[in-house]
Amino acid sequence: MHISDGVLPLAVTIGGYAVSAGIAAWSARRIHSRDLPKVAVVTSAFFVASLVHVPFGPTSAHLLLPGLAGALLGPAAFVSIGLGLLLQSVLFQFGGITALGANAVMMGVPAVICGWFFQQVRGRTRMRQAVAGGLAGALGTFLAAVFLAGLLAAGGEDFFGVAKLALAAHVPVIVIEGVVSGFTIGFLARVKPVLLQSSFQDTAGPVHD
Amino acid sequence: MTGLHKGIVMALVCFFLAGLSGPLWAQDARDDNNQEVITILKEQNSTLSRDLRRIQREIAALRADLDKPGMKDVFAGIGYIFGLFGAAAFAASRRRE
Repeated sequence: MHISDGVLPLAVTIGGYAVSAGIAAWSARRIHSRDLPKVAVVTSAFFVASLVHVPFGPTSAHLLLPGLAGALLGPAAFVSIGLGLLLQSVLFQFGGITALGANAVMMGVPAVICGWFFQQVRGRTRMRQAVAGGLAGALGTFLAAVFLAGLLAAGGEDFFGVAKLALAAHVPVIVIEGVVSGFTIGFLARVKPVLLQSSFQDTAGPVHD
Repeated sequence: MTGLHKGIVMALVCFFLAGLSGPLWAQDARDDNNQEVITILKEQNSTLSRDLRRIQREIAALRADLDKPGMKDVFAGIGYIFGLFGAAAFAASRRRE
């Protein structure tokens, strides 16, 4: 799910850059320096995940992982996804460089929402955390499709038509993302629960060491 | 003198065969040759165009492969990410001191 060059009108392109710059600044301020290695690893995972193509019928879709990144990183997910998208567009030619701002908004905002959602619904038990992670993963892709429709609607397309198309195309991805995120979070909850603790409450206060 | 006569007759026959009938046979042979050459050329043509189609398909597949990001791009990206976060960590540690 990447918007290419020249799809969006100029106003939406510039607006996307402005909004994503603002959110990225907010997000970067929330990164604790001790979390930097984790952010780097999740960013690389997000960057590479787009190459994992899932064959589905005549087409194939690739993993997106905004939900998983959000669940693991919380507010820092926006910077992570923005950097991942920048490198994807430079190295893989996925999505245009002019549409980068809009793409970052489209993938990053759902990631942050998913991180918040995950922190709200995750309980203490491992099973519940896995289920919450799966839900967050599915929600991330779902919201990304909705944001895609919204951005294209800002460019003059019919919102519900695009939303229907984007959601229909990503139903298998939503399911697979949910499963992958659920298993990943369940595994992390078992072997390294500390990784799941970061995020909103943890870094809500002023950064101090 | 029969030997001489025989020789003359043979020479005449040979002359006629060579001089008169020769071009007629050659005509026949040339027609046959033409047909053969044409069939050979047609065969060659079809094999060549088949090969050409195959090569064109291969070029298209190669071009599609070239568009796909390879291992190099993947590792370049991961290197960039770790490098950038390493620099950020360095800056953060400097600021703390």
